[in-house]
Amino acid sequence: MTAIADGNLAPQDRAVQARKLHWVLTTALGLTALLSLQIGATDVTLMHMLAKVLVGEVLSPLERVVLFDIRLPRLAMGTLVGAALAVSGVVMQGLFRNPLADPGIVGISAGAGLGAILAIVLGAHLPIWLTDLTGDHLTPLIAFLGGWGTILLLYRVSTRHGRTSVATMLLAGIALAALAGALSGILVFVANDQQLRDLTFWGLGSLAGANWAKVFAAGPMILLSIAAALTLGRGLNGLAMGEATAAHIGIDVQKLKSITILAVAGATGAAVAVSGGIGFVGIVVPHLLRLASGPDHRTLLLNAALLGASLLILADVIARSIIAPAELPIGIVTAVLGAPVFLWILLKRRGVVDL
Amino acid sequence: MSVVAEDITVSYGQHRALRGVSLKAQPGQVTAIVGPNGSGKSTLLGAMTGSLPYLGEVRLNGQDIRSMKPWALAAQRAVLPQTARLAFPFTVIETVRLGLQFGTAGDRPEVPSQALAKVGLAHYANRSFHDLSGGEAQRVMLARVLAQVWAPVENGQPRWLFLDEPVSSLDIGHQLQVMEIARDFAQSGGGVIAVMHDLNLTALYADRVAILSKGEMLAVGTPNEVLTDATLSAAYECQLRVSHPPPADIPFILPHAAVTQNTRP
Repeated sequence: MTAIADGNLAPQDRAVQARKLHWVLTTALGLTALLSLQIGATDVTLMHMLAKVLVGEVLSPLERVVLFDIRLPRLAMGTLVGAALAVSGVVMQGLFRNPLADPGIVGISAGAGLGAILAIVLGAHLPIWLTDLTGDHLTPLIAFLGGWGTILLLYRVSTRHGRTSVATMLLAGIALAALAGALSGILVFVANDQQLRDLTFWGLGSLAGANWAKVFAAGPMILLSIAAALTLGRGLNGLAMGEATAAHIGIDVQKLKSITILAVAGATGAAVAVSGGIGFVGIVVPHLLRLASGPDHRTLLLNAALLGASLLILADVIARSIIAPAELPIGIVTAVLGAPVFLWILLKRRGVVDL
Repeated sequence: MSVVAEDITVSYGQHRALRGVSLKAQPGQVTAIVGPNGSGKSTLLGAMTGSLPYLGEVRLNGQDIRSMKPWALAAQRAVLPQTARLAFPFTVIETVRLGLQFGTAGDRPEVPSQALAKVGLAHYANRSFHDLSGGEAQRVMLARVLAQVWAPVENGQPRWLFLDEPVSSLDIGHQLQVMEIARDFAQSGGGVIAVMHDLNLTALYADRVAILSKGEMLAVGTPNEVLTDATLSAAYECQLRVSHPPPADIPFILPHAAVTQNTRP
C-alpha cells in the first residue's frame, strides 16, 4: 500500500530530490523552449538563424517576423499559461485538501466560458467604437471578466463574518457552473454556424492567437498570481491537517484562503482568457510531482510551474507540427497525452489517491 | 502565568453548548475536563484554543487570546485534535515537522526525531502517514504537538498542551504511555489541559478535574474532591460507585449496573 514512488526514501532525500527536480525541470523548460523556437510551419529554424547570426549575416524580414512576432510570443504565452494552470491546480488541491480538485471546481472555467460565448455571439451587436477599441481582445477580455466575476461572487457567497467556508465554495461553485452552463446554452442556441465553430475551438484551447499584446496583457497578472502562490507553501502544508489545526500551528488561515483564491482567479482567469479551455495540466502535473518528490508544497509549487510550462510548450509544438500547416487545438493534445498517462498512473499505483 | 477561561458561552445556532463556564488551569498540572457526551467538553477546549467563536474571555499566560496572532499563539501552545487528519501522503517525520514553523523548536532539526521516539514510533519515520493505523496516526500527531512546544518552559513562560481525547483510539498500554508523556510535560513546568473520557485514567493522572454537565460547570477540584459517587452519578445520570483501593488512595470508578436501569428517565 505504500504506493508513493519514493515512500522508502528518507525524508531528507525526498526534500533533496524535490530541490534537484527544480534544476532538472528548469533544464527541461529551456530545452522545450529551444524546441518550440526551432520547429514551426515554415522552414525557418532556430539553428539556421543562429548560424546566420554567428557568421555576421543579417536575418531576413521573414525570419525576423517568424522568430520575434510569431514563435517568441507563442513561447512566452505557452510558458505563462502552462505555469498558471499547473500552479492553480496545486493551490486548489491544497485548498480543498483533495488531489482531484482543479480551478474548474470553483466555476472559473464555466464563468470564463460564458464570458467567451457572450463575446463571440453578442460581440457583433456591440457598438462599433467598442469593438474597435478592443479589437481581437474582446473575447479574452470578457472571458477574463467572466472568470473573475464568478470567483468573486463565489467568495462573497461563501464568506460569513470574515470566514470563508471551503465546503460552501464547492457547492456554490457547482451551482454557479451549472448556471453559467445554462446561460451559455441559451447563447449557443441563438448562435450562427460560424459562431458555433469559434465557440467550439475556443473551448478546445489554443495558443494560436498569441502575440505580444496578449502576452503583455495576461503576463503581469499571471506572474503576480504565481508569485503570490509560491508564498503559500507552508500554509498549504498546514492546511492538509484541516483548517483548525492549520490555525493551531500558527497559520493565518483566512489570509491563506484569500490569497489562494485571488491567486487562482488571477492565474487561471488570465490563462483561460488568452488560451481557452486547456484541460488536464492542472491535475496531471501536481499528481506526477507528488509521486516523484512528495507532497511538500514548498517545493511542489515551483516544480509545478516549471513542469506545467514545459509540458504546455511541448503540447503546443505537437499541436502545430503534427498536421502542419494546419494546427490542432492544444486542448486536444493535452487531453490525448494527459488522459492515458493519468489512467496509466492510476492503474499502476492503485490506492494512491486518498480522498 | 496560567490559562484562564472566564464566563465562556458558546452557541451553535439556537443551541447553547456552553453557558457561562469558567476554568483556570495552572502550569505544572494536568487539568482534565470530563463529562458525558454533549456536555461541552470539546466545545470548551475549542473556545480555549480560539478555534470556536465564543462570548467571554480566554487568557493565555496573561494575554487575551483574541488579541494574539496565530503564530504568537502557536509559539505558546499546541493543540492535539480529536481525529488525526492529513490530506496528502506526507511521511511520518514530515508530518511531525509540520508543527515546527512557529513553535519553540523551529531551528532544532533533531526535535522531530526525538518527539517521535518519545511516542515510541522512531522506526516509523519514513513510512507514509496514510499507512498507519488509527492509534499510530494519533500518536504521530501527539509527536507533532510535542515538537511544537518542545520545551515546557521557554523564557520563563510555561508552554501549554491542549489535548482533545488524547487516548480515545489507543490500547491500554499506549493510553498509559500518552498520559505519562502529558504528566512529564506538566512536571517539567508546562501546562496540560486534556478532555478525557476515561474516568480512571483521569483519576490516575489529573491534578485537577473539571466536570461539565449540560453545558455548565458542575464541579472543579482535585480527583479526590470531585470524583465522588454523588457528583459523578449526577453528571453522567447513572449510578456510579467510587472506591479508593489501597495503597495510593486514588479514586476508582465502577459502574453500578443493577441500579442504572432504574434511574434512567
